[in-house]
Amino acid sequence: MFYRLSGTYHTSYRADRRLWKVPTDRWLVVALLVLGAFAPLYVSPLYLGSYVLPWVIWSAAALSLTLLMGLAGQLHFGFAAVMAIGAYASIHLTRAGIPFEISLLLSGLIAAVIGAVFGGAALRVKGLYLVMATLAMQYLVDWVVVNVPWISGGAHATLRTPAVSFLLLPLDSLAARYWLALGWAVLLTVFFMNVKRSSFGRALVAIRDKDFAAAVIGVDPFRTKLMAFFTSSFMGGVTGAILAFCFYRAVTPEQFGFNVSIQLVAMVLVGGLGSVIGSWLGAGFVLLAPIFLTNIISALAATGWVPVSQNFLSHLPLMIYGAMIIGFLLLEPLGLAKIYDNIRKYFLVWPFRHARS
Amino acid sequence: MKGGQMNWMRKLALTTALVVGVAGPIHAEEIKFGLLQDFTAVYTFVTGQYNQGQQDYLRLVNEEGGIGGNTFTAIVRDTGNQPQRGIEAYNRAKEEGAILFDFLSTPVSAAILDQAQSDKNVVITPAHGRGDASDGTVFPYVFPMMATYWAQAANLVEYMKQTGGLEGKKIAIVHIDSPFGREPGPILQALSEQEKFEFKAFPYASPGNEQSSAWSEVRRYRPDYVMIWGAGGGQAVSVRTAIQNGIRPEQIHSVIWLAETDAANVGPQMKGVKRFEATASGMDHPIIQRINEKVIAPGKGSGETANVGNSYYNLGVATMAVAVEAARLGAEGGATINGDALKAGFEKIAGYDAEGLMPAITITGADHQGGGAGRVSEWDGEKWVPVSEWHAAYPDLVRKVIEESASHYGK
Amino acid sequence: MAYFLELLISGALTGLMYALVALGFVLIYKSAGVPNLAQGALVMTAGYAVWLVMSWGLPVWAAIPIAGAIMFGFGLVVERLLLRRMVGQPVIMVVMLTLGLEILLRGLVPGILGSAPKPIDLGIDFAPIIIGDVFINRTSLYGGIAALVLVGAALAFFRTRLGTKLRAVSDDHVSSWAVGISVERAIGISWGLAGVAAVVAGALWGSSQGVDWTLSALLFPAVAVVILGGVDSIHGVVLGGILVGVLGTVIPGYLDSVAGGSTRDVVTSLIILLTIMIRPFGMFGREDIERI
Repeated sequence: MFYRLSGTYHTSYRADRRLWKVPTDRWLVVALLVLGAFAPLYVSPLYLGSYVLPWVIWSAAALSLTLLMGLAGQLHFGFAAVMAIGAYASIHLTRAGIPFEISLLLSGLIAAVIGAVFGGAALRVKGLYLVMATLAMQYLVDWVVVNVPWISGGAHATLRTPAVSFLLLPLDSLAARYWLALGWAVLLTVFFMNVKRSSFGRALVAIRDKDFAAAVIGVDPFRTKLMAFFTSSFMGGVTGAILAFCFYRAVTPEQFGFNVSIQLVAMVLVGGLGSVIGSWLGAGFVLLAPIFLTNIISALAATGWVPVSQNFLSHLPLMIYGAMIIGFLLLEPLGLAKIYDNIRKYFLVWPFRHARS
Repeated sequence: MKGGQMNWMRKLALTTALVVGVAGPIHAEEIKFGLLQDFTAVYTFVTGQYNQGQQDYLRLVNEEGGIGGNTFTAIVRDTGNQPQRGIEAYNRAKEEGAILFDFLSTPVSAAILDQAQSDKNVVITPAHGRGDASDGTVFPYVFPMMATYWAQAANLVEYMKQTGGLEGKKIAIVHIDSPFGREPGPILQALSEQEKFEFKAFPYASPGNEQSSAWSEVRRYRPDYVMIWGAGGGQAVSVRTAIQNGIRPEQIHSVIWLAETDAANVGPQMKGVKRFEATASGMDHPIIQRINEKVIAPGKGSGETANVGNSYYNLGVATMAVAVEAARLGAEGGATINGDALKAGFEKIAGYDAEGLMPAITITGADHQGGGAGRVSEWDGEKWVPVSEWHAAYPDLVRKVIEESASHYGK
Repeated sequence: MAYFLELLISGALTGLMYALVALGFVLIYKSAGVPNLAQGALVMTAGYAVWLVMSWGLPVWAAIPIAGAIMFGFGLVVERLLLRRMVGQPVIMVVMLTLGLEILLRGLVPGILGSAPKPIDLGIDFAPIIIGDVFINRTSLYGGIAALVLVGAALAFFRTRLGTKLRAVSDDHVSSWAVGISVERAIGISWGLAGVAAVVAGALWGSSQGVDWTLSALLFPAVAVVILGGVDSIHGVVLGGILVGVLGTVIPGYLDSVAGGSTRDVVTSLIILLTIMIRPFGMFGREDIERI
């Protein structure tokens, strides 16, 4: 119906390699971009500031992580620590007088270098052991941040972000901060879609599927794994800086704790490993579903139909969050991306139930 | 009983109805307080009872007809101690018209402080939060309004001085390894120079379920007094491990976060342990009696009846009593209550003691701590018994530390 | 010297108490190959269960077996409803499922039973055992003894007929099927046993700190114990526990006042990292050989 395929012929390899081969997809992407770019005009500041903005930033974070976990198959349970490095580095660099644009890049590089050290463990172990090793590194980074006053900012451990501007656009209005975050997230999205088609992306996939086999066909596992950690940590570091400057505007170590790492992994898994649209959907779902579901149940409780205590009500988001992770893993391990894909395929061949065969 | 329970749940739910976020018309006569606290993560030990006291007091004020026709509504939400969710909850409560916020969480307060100041909304940080926020010239919209951690430490030290002298004595401060645990450091440093005592800090890893190495070291330090500076389950472990290391309960002096629940965890051995208190505990206070009569007895309480009158409950009641008093003063002369009017009301509070529940506080434009008075009380096996009078200890020294620290803010 | 000795003993005993938490992890990993990151939350749930049964007015010696039965059933249910459906899925899915379970339990149990710390009184004397200048904490001592007894029982259990089946299952699922062993039942039983181990851990840790969600934070030291001892080695838990406890007590005992912060978590993290880098399968674990 919506996805009219008639008249769409790919007459060259070039045309066949396009990102969006179906016109509807193309239009959809354009429409979403326009909607996203003009969001500050029609979304109330409440929704923009507390739902849309964090969603965009966490999507960027999920994209960074899914490059590592989805494409390269390297598990990482300490990604929040990488973001923390980016956030703290960017604040200290801008405070030292370096222009914001450059300090963003530098903080990404610092996070990438330290993140690649995390990757060192991946050269030796995989699977469960890699989970544990990255988890231990998360604790180490947390400890260093908390215990070195030079990093954390002393007794109260709160560092405020200085007022900055990005390419002459001062970041003091919500809209400006939103646009910067959106720009970064879109940039990551475009990068991600293209990296899948590059030789680097294919090397990552080869490593994910079987690193010994990849070595046999000439992909250097050592280099590729380190590159994967480096790239993903760079993306994560800049996202952490964006998170600090565009959303929190003050950083404390708690913002990047172990639970945040878990939340990121949950976003990636709920969305669907290695999927672009999955990262966006997963970030939105993990971030917003517990909030909205809790609101619905509180509303029901308010009417008096569902007798629950305050204590239960306040533990509800945690329960929903846990149940959601379990539910997705049991019912749709391929995540929201797969659900989207099923719906799209349904419309692709509608009114028929199956394509061709 | 069952019916009564249903009833309070419904009432409670009504209070939390605002969580829904359906932006209704804002009634001028409805003053909204955002109690966006951490019910599920780090501060669970206190939030439930503290918040219960806050909600019950606001209900009492409404039952008694409000303040000049204004009624009070609590917007209660869980932030899980996560800045992310704190910001979301803050923005939503702000949209719903809340003008006063209590986060009861250091990281969440930190993430919102700037935003709230520029929105001109009042943030209260009673008995917690950064000490230097007492400087109203630097933090115009933040009100610690009760003794900060620095005033608490000073009060405990003064009590030690009165009971056994300080010169040449040794104090061991055993604290959780977090910014909160390190909070008393500067004031103890200043005090030790003035009073010529020696002190040493012994950190233990958060959340403090195992502290044996710290206490082995404390025992060998042979302290005359011990201060414990933690919160939650770690406090009970501190008291237990201290006693197991031969430290007498009488030597132990705790920060405000040591309550009836911890005593139940430690057992009868806790008799003799002292803590700082900013509000009296127990039921024998006019306000608590009235809550009991008009809110609890008709089944309108917001939580377990057993908690009414305990330390954290009364602390919650006192915080709201001060806030309501500020609203009353702010509304004098017919001003509509918004963040600015409320701030002005706070700064007009003089000699208010919540009918004897707390020491009299006087808040001025410069001093948002309200004097920082408190007292020391001792666990007698069943309840907290005060062993000193309400007073502020070393006010000048505390003020000096506050101003010095506040001057670094934003730099 | 007495200071060192005291740190050594209290560290070893604390480590054995960590081993109690770790034992459940190993029991499950050994038979099912599932890393159960919800073991900390299981200990918390068990602590609440003991408290709940005791609040009905039952004495400790009755409450613990009843809670044990409840948690055995709970373990069976978790395995049947959740983990059995994950057979054959990649490790990340399984890890995340157990983490989801840990988050769910951390919300559900305190949400229903209350989040303020609950006391468990095991009737253990407060006064320490004093030998010279060395103080020994009785709770830790009994905890350490309980851990040794439980590990001993687990080892003995693996010599029984049922235990032999479990060992067969841990060796190879498919061949066990082939010789007529019910792999599902064996895995279910190991989950139930992990629940029982959690009850002992929950009761002892709960008596020293009170029962609240922070019990689930015991997962971290327990993970260090299993990594060091070997994820599939039951006796490794004892030595791993003692080492993690001793290093995590002795090093902070000398370093903390110098570093100005608690170094225990750093020590624990470094134990995990170094073990994985040097000998990933731990001291007593079985080295897996990967085939292409």
